[in-house]
Amino acid sequence: MFSYVMRRLMFGALTVVGVSIVVFVLMRILPGDPLVAIFGPEGYTKLTDQERAHYMAELGLGDPLFVQYLAWLGDIARGDLGHSFFRSESVAEMILRRGPLTAQIAFLSVVLSWLVGIPIAILSALRPNTLADHVARLMSILFLAVPGFWLGMLIVLTLLFAFGYRAPLTGASIFTDPWTTLQMIIGPAIVLGLGQAAYIARMARSSLLEVVREDYVRTARAKGLNNRLVIAFHALPNALLPVITLSGVLLGFVLAGSIPVERAFGTPGLGYTMFIAVSERDVFVMQNLVFLYAVVFVLLNIMVDIIIAWLDPRIRLR
Amino acid sequence: MTMTAPDLGLPPRALSQTPPTAAGGLAQGFASFARRSPMSVVWGVIALAIVITAVTAPVLAPYDPLRSNFRTMTKPPSPEHVFGTDQIGRDTLSRVIWGSRASLTVAFFAVLLGTTVGALWGLACGFFGGRFDIASQRAIEFMQSFPDLVLAMAIAMALGAGTGTVIVAIAITRIPFGGRVIRAVALSLRELPYVEAARGLGASNMRLMFRHILPQCIAPFLILATTHLGVAIIIEASLGFLGVGIPPPTPTWGNMLSDALNSGLVPPWWLVLFPGLAITLTVLAFNLLGDGIRDLLDPRLRGSV
Repeated sequence: MFSYVMRRLMFGALTVVGVSIVVFVLMRILPGDPLVAIFGPEGYTKLTDQERAHYMAELGLGDPLFVQYLAWLGDIARGDLGHSFFRSESVAEMILRRGPLTAQIAFLSVVLSWLVGIPIAILSALRPNTLADHVARLMSILFLAVPGFWLGMLIVLTLLFAFGYRAPLTGASIFTDPWTTLQMIIGPAIVLGLGQAAYIARMARSSLLEVVREDYVRTARAKGLNNRLVIAFHALPNALLPVITLSGVLLGFVLAGSIPVERAFGTPGLGYTMFIAVSERDVFVMQNLVFLYAVVFVLLNIMVDIIIAWLDPRIRLR
Repeated sequence: MTMTAPDLGLPPRALSQTPPTAAGGLAQGFASFARRSPMSVVWGVIALAIVITAVTAPVLAPYDPLRSNFRTMTKPPSPEHVFGTDQIGRDTLSRVIWGSRASLTVAFFAVLLGTTVGALWGLACGFFGGRFDIASQRAIEFMQSFPDLVLAMAIAMALGAGTGTVIVAIAITRIPFGGRVIRAVALSLRELPYVEAARGLGASNMRLMFRHILPQCIAPFLILATTHLGVAIIIEASLGFLGVGIPPPTPTWGNMLSDALNSGLVPPWWLVLFPGLAITLTVLAFNLLGDGIRDLLDPRLRGSV
């Protein structure tokens, strides 16, 4: 187990380095002149040559690319994620203040996706081609097609018209004011959770159908065990392994999906920060946020791999 | 096949084994497919209707999608404006119809570009193997370390606004999928006796790849491309919603939803409902069409994924 974890971590470190190169290439080299990205094409033409040179030097953009790259990595290692061009708060402070909200949304959405997806999957796997199965499949197809941010806008509008209710737009942390926080995160979590539930239900259904056919399940039935117990204690634990893996991957996508959904709800989380950075064309904030998203995604995948290896000896012994 | 085979006095089995012409075989396959899963055909017809809407948008749209009319600002649905009007009096129905054009153009070209690049890359990886393959797999892993939407946002922002940019941004997020799937196909085909036979006859690597292995990749390619159309449409709409999609005033569904939200604290319901319904219906149609095409081309995969 230890060697497996070490190997996986080494791999993860390599991936993070690769990811940092991709981010650097994307955000620094592709735009051509970063000043155009910062000031916009119109603002750029208004700058004098002197001002351009001044900004380039101040931002360290005049250095050779690999020096810039190493400087950036050094900044990150020191925890200095830079400043936005448009506000006084540093990027690190912004992440610390807004990150927890998005993390709570993501966590709650995963919980909801399991609560909705697994029962649907069990129902449709145990009684294939019945009404329940068809309804479950129709729902999972529908959830995949509905854009989360639109569903979010509809929920906000419906609550407003029907009950005159609007979720609070600002709030303290979950420790000091859990009720306000819950109101803020429940909407995005439901929207994102339903989207995941569709994938979870599909995966759990096909995985369960496969496991139910295995010999050890037949043995359990043959020794006279109640069908419910067979499913709950023999088939389900093994059937859930691929679902855990999928859930980890989906968690990464939820963090991304949270960007438009947080905008739809007006939730001031990390996704909203990303939206602001994009709409302000704030290249440096974007660069660090994109890198952060990718690193979190990689870490999640490593965590899931380790959890799976811990649960399933077949993997860690290979 | 509609043509009845002439009676040659052969047992029926031998007759059925005569290779049908490609078109005849496909038509026959389609007919039996339509009988087996009529719903896929229904969704196929809906998808076709959406494509036709996009192509004939200038004729179908009752108003100019860009012309504002200050006498009809933010009006709810009425007989003149079935879907209502937006804050500067543009007709929502016309904008939804024109939006299909932007959405489908981006989705179609992005998926075509991304899947093709990915497929060719995967073909080379699977065929050559070795160091090239290992390096490529690492590169693909790096690309897949980003959530799709974050990568598309970063690329769209880095390249600057425009339709072409959005297409490229979404296409790049599709490359790993094409790469992975086609690599697996090429990897398994490479070892087959018919490829070995062709190699024995002195066929070059290029000839082996493009004449012997590539044709076998067409079915997985089509399945992959159609199943990714829906995702591409959602990403396009999300990019528009976040303000990094096709720049306004071009009407796209994502831009319309973004405009609705920017209009004030409470967006008018018709400006939210109709563009979103259009997205949902289109994605639903293409997803189910994709499922149908997968069943048609590869019955073994039915019900999986």
